[in-house]
Amino acid sequence: MFCRTQTTRAAIARGSALEMEIRRGKFRRSVFLDTLQDSDIQKKIDHEIRMRDGACKLLAACSQRDQALEAAKSLLTCNTRIMAYMSELQRMKEAQVMQRVARRSDGTRSSDAGPMDDRLPCKGKVAISDLRIPLMWKDTEYFKNKGELHRCAVFCLLQVGGEIHDTDMVMVDRTLTDICFDNTIVFSEASPGFELRVELYSCCSEEDYSAGSAPRKLASKLSSSLGRSAGKKLRVAMDPGACSPTSNAGAATLLLPGPAVAGPKYHLLAHTSLSLSHVQDSFRTHDLSISGNEECSYWVPLYGSVCCRLAAQPHCMTQQMMSGCLKVKLGGDPPSWTNVYGVLKGTNLFCYHRQEDMEANVEPAFTIAINKETRIRASEKDPHSKAQSICISNQYGGEEVTHTLSADSREETHRWMEAFWQQFCDMSQWKQCCDDLMKIELPSPRKPALVTSKQGSLYHEIVIDTSDDISTVTDILTRRMQELELRSQLGTSPPWMSLFEESPGGPRTPRLARHSPRSPHRLPHSPLSSLRCPWPGLLSSDASLTSDSDSPCSTSPCSRHRGWAEPLSLSSPRFRPRTLSLDAKLSTLRGRGYGGVLQCSCQPPSSSSLAPIPAQCVPQATLSCSSSTSSNSSSEGSHSPSSLDGTPFSRPSSARRSLRNLRAKLDPRNWLQSQV
Amino acid sequence: MSSFLSQLHFQLSCALQQRIEICKLRQGEHLILGFSIGGGIDQDPGQNPFSEDKSDKGIYVTRVTPGGPAEVAGLMMGDKVMQVNGWDMTMVTHDQARKRLTKKNEDIVRLLVTRKSLEQAVRHSMM
Repeated sequence: MFCRTQTTRAAIARGSALEMEIRRGKFRRSVFLDTLQDSDIQKKIDHEIRMRDGACKLLAACSQRDQALEAAKSLLTCNTRIMAYMSELQRMKEAQVMQRVARRSDGTRSSDAGPMDDRLPCKGKVAISDLRIPLMWKDTEYFKNKGELHRCAVFCLLQVGGEIHDTDMVMVDRTLTDICFDNTIVFSEASPGFELRVELYSCCSEEDYSAGSAPRKLASKLSSSLGRSAGKKLRVAMDPGACSPTSNAGAATLLLPGPAVAGPKYHLLAHTSLSLSHVQDSFRTHDLSISGNEECSYWVPLYGSVCCRLAAQPHCMTQQMMSGCLKVKLGGDPPSWTNVYGVLKGTNLFCYHRQEDMEANVEPAFTIAINKETRIRASEKDPHSKAQSICISNQYGGEEVTHTLSADSREETHRWMEAFWQQFCDMSQWKQCCDDLMKIELPSPRKPALVTSKQGSLYHEIVIDTSDDISTVTDILTRRMQELELRSQLGTSPPWMSLFEESPGGPRTPRLARHSPRSPHRLPHSPLSSLRCPWPGLLSSDASLTSDSDSPCSTSPCSRHRGWAEPLSLSSPRFRPRTLSLDAKLSTLRGRGYGGVLQCSCQPPSSSSLAPIPAQCVPQATLSCSSSTSSNSSSEGSHSPSSLDGTPFSRPSSARRSLRNLRAKLDPRNWLQSQV
Repeated sequence: MSSFLSQLHFQLSCALQQRIEICKLRQGEHLILGFSIGGGIDQDPGQNPFSEDKSDKGIYVTRVTPGGPAEVAGLMMGDKVMQVNGWDMTMVTHDQARKRLTKKNEDIVRLLVTRKSLEQAVRHSMM
């Protein structure tokens, strides 16, 4: 005999007729009895099928990778929902069939044995929020990995019974230490025996490799000559079957092999199940079961646990379970009674003088606790009154206090007793959730999806201290602004940037080196920002790289700041590829020339007169020091000290100095020193 | 500003500064002082080998060219430069500091420095 309170996940047998129908997208309505519940589910299934069709069309039509990932996520969610509804329908059908069989064999249903048997606990709201999955990157990812950043798109699918919700999608790369999902997901009708299944899906987010076109030999040659992550991806793309058996094994019950759609495919990366025992009013860490391994394209190195806040609000705690007029014995001889309006809610029986008081939110006259330690019994028939009275006993600090209540009629008394029994049943089933009401914060109404908050990482917290100096703050803002500009140039900007762009994103190369010579129309200091962008957060070293450019910057972009201030406040872009290869950086610098940033030798060799030096040379000096991008200054910088080689204060030759400057600039851990 | 004032207060109460006047030396087209500086509010103060307080982002003298104008004037390695010709050097970026020292229209720079040995001497004398 099945238990109605248990949620079972039915797996539809592969190759069964039902599965074939699902695949074809047609459903034999005659299979399912047309009860009210069935038609509800049928409507839901139809709705999901329409959503799925829409997602498929969008996937086929969209060109941008981000859109494709979102569409693939919707597709997967729709498929999962359809599967869940189908399973529920099947289960209901099975239940009906079995009930009919049981009824036929037993005759009449057996009557209730006792107050606790056959009593269903109330349902409740279950909310999961603040999901955080720590990552564990190997140091080889940071230091030895040449080439592009390995990025994955991940999201979570959360399921309780037939209700399936998905979180927003998060892009994961090695600058993140944790995957954080900010969504709060509330399941409204969950029974105490619920099973909340959390599944993490991920999809590799690099450019598609057209696997079919390249011959195998070439592919293996390519993969060995490319960087580690790129080669891995290519190998996987060449061999699509390699990872799927392991990934799909665990997901067979949830994933529907729907209509074959080209585009990004999500794979199950990890899953776990949470239940009532995991519910707590604070954050807890749970273990994850990880599927997939390092060789899969969608692999993200998970630490193996997930932190979240799982809260539950049973209805008995939030709703009025019973209310009505009662008489409370006050004591004395003969005992006197007072009329109250009682409301049973949560762990208390509130007694108001009148019903209007309760509606007006006036404080109750008194409150009787109804919790796990309370004992309630119906007393013997009182000779003075006709109805039974109810005795509620509580322990208040060692003392036992008993309240005696009486209802107007026998039916009322019976109903109150039923309510109390139900309350006890609920409290025994919901256990720790009934001690205190757990708070569930409803997610705020969704703002229009212009804002994507890039995930911060612990390594890149920008600290602005010494904020007395406004130019520091201005410098940081300038850098941020240029980072934004540069990113919009590269086409990897957050979606809302498209509102501000005139032209859709250009070629998508994260290699900043290639873009710098191609922006002559921009402010003269901006190409240097292409070198700055890799580490705007590291104030210690890179500000010295930029210090030459900053002085003109700090005054000029005030007006530009205001134009950009709004998007800056909306998002906190912390995207920065940390490990551009050394070659890229050197080629950048050689191509543009450096401006003799650190040494004073960048002063123009123009004036040879002694002090006092005419004032006109000063701005020139400043300019050549600061606009370190023009090739003129670089040639000046390299040519000027050539005559000084013999003297004791001679600076090293230009070639050695340039190399030393490069090394100094490129090492982010340098504490810079300048010769004056 | 408030931190500068508090530092000033500290200096006035302990009188640990030294005034050093350096005459720049002309070498071809360049005016050199003959020392190197490190530090700045945009630099990582933890890497400063000369500072006692590793959150001190001031400008420190990291090297003095032997025989150069700075050495002649009495500047020593490890000195913290507080002012240059009246310009504050306690709350500047590295590059701002460099520029304030290398102004082409100035032949003489007057530095206000504070020195650890001086501080220690005073502290010992106070104990």
